[in-house]
Amino acid sequence: MLDEPARILIAAALCWINFVAIDVFFKLPGSGGVCGATAIAEEVEKGGGNLHGGFMLGNIVSSPDASAGTLLAACGVYCAGLPGGLFAALLVYIGNRICYDPGYAGTTGAITATFLVYGMTQVGFAASDFIAGMVIAILTIQGISHVHSSRLIARLWDLRNRLLGDHP
Amino acid sequence: MIAIYLCAIIAVYAALRIITERNTMRKLPFLNVISFAVTAIIALLLPHPLTILAAAAFFVGSTFESNAIASTWSGGMKRNG
Amino acid sequence: MDEIIMAASAILILIGMISAIVNLDPFDKLISLSILISGIFPFIVDRGLLDVAIALALIAPLSTVFILMACQKRASS
Repeated sequence: MLDEPARILIAAALCWINFVAIDVFFKLPGSGGVCGATAIAEEVEKGGGNLHGGFMLGNIVSSPDASAGTLLAACGVYCAGLPGGLFAALLVYIGNRICYDPGYAGTTGAITATFLVYGMTQVGFAASDFIAGMVIAILTIQGISHVHSSRLIARLWDLRNRLLGDHP
Repeated sequence: MIAIYLCAIIAVYAALRIITERNTMRKLPFLNVISFAVTAIIALLLPHPLTILAAAAFFVGSTFESNAIASTWSGGMKRNG
Repeated sequence: MDEIIMAASAILILIGMISAIVNLDPFDKLISLSILISGIFPFIVDRGLLDVAIALALIAPLSTVFILMACQKRASS
């Protein structure tokens, strides 16, 4: 129905909303999970960014969280349909346990992304659009400018704390 | 077919950003972008059920490597300072 | 394999190799080696050698961890 570039852009927006919402909901910008994440956050803050946004960048780098879950679930749906996505969720859980992480955010992100991608393939999108869209989404968070993306995430983190009301 | 070209271009862009960045810790998010893009290229090249396992193994391995580099770097800095 | 993807993987390997030679800090060298290994994977997967790709993806981080042990010992002494 739509052209491929338009479908990739819509898929990128959906993936961005999915993984940022789940990461912020599971308190990834609250604190560094491992000491490497804390080191990355301090360096990002030294370069002019925000500390809470830096914690989220460090946590994405040092353990597979909802962004990795979204990408691997899209790969699983592309290769083997709905069971492939659920198998990818299991692999993300194992990877989280390897990297000393509880693994709630990654597994939840993978399962919601599986149903999101499978549902969108029924209405005319292809799973490959979601794979490319997830790469674009992670590029906007980690690859363009650490200063601006960490400030954006800090603003979302304040909004989440104001809505749900519990401070860490 | 545009999807896989886009992933390849993003991987090269992130590699160029790594070699122009001076700070060691701020290179690691760009390395994460490269591993996302290469995982996408692996999955898009060969649609086979075993490809999921290969893509997940590559991604988890790359993440574990970044985790080890960042942890060792911060531990070394703390001990020196 | 398509020419553009082949060229992109080759560029990744070349960038990793040159920056591993030029950089002097051991952590920068390890990051450059990681770029180089990322560039190798599309060539392996395109031939259909998925088992080789899985084995390499599990062996490469372990070798990095062993090199990091050497870096840590030298930094503390």
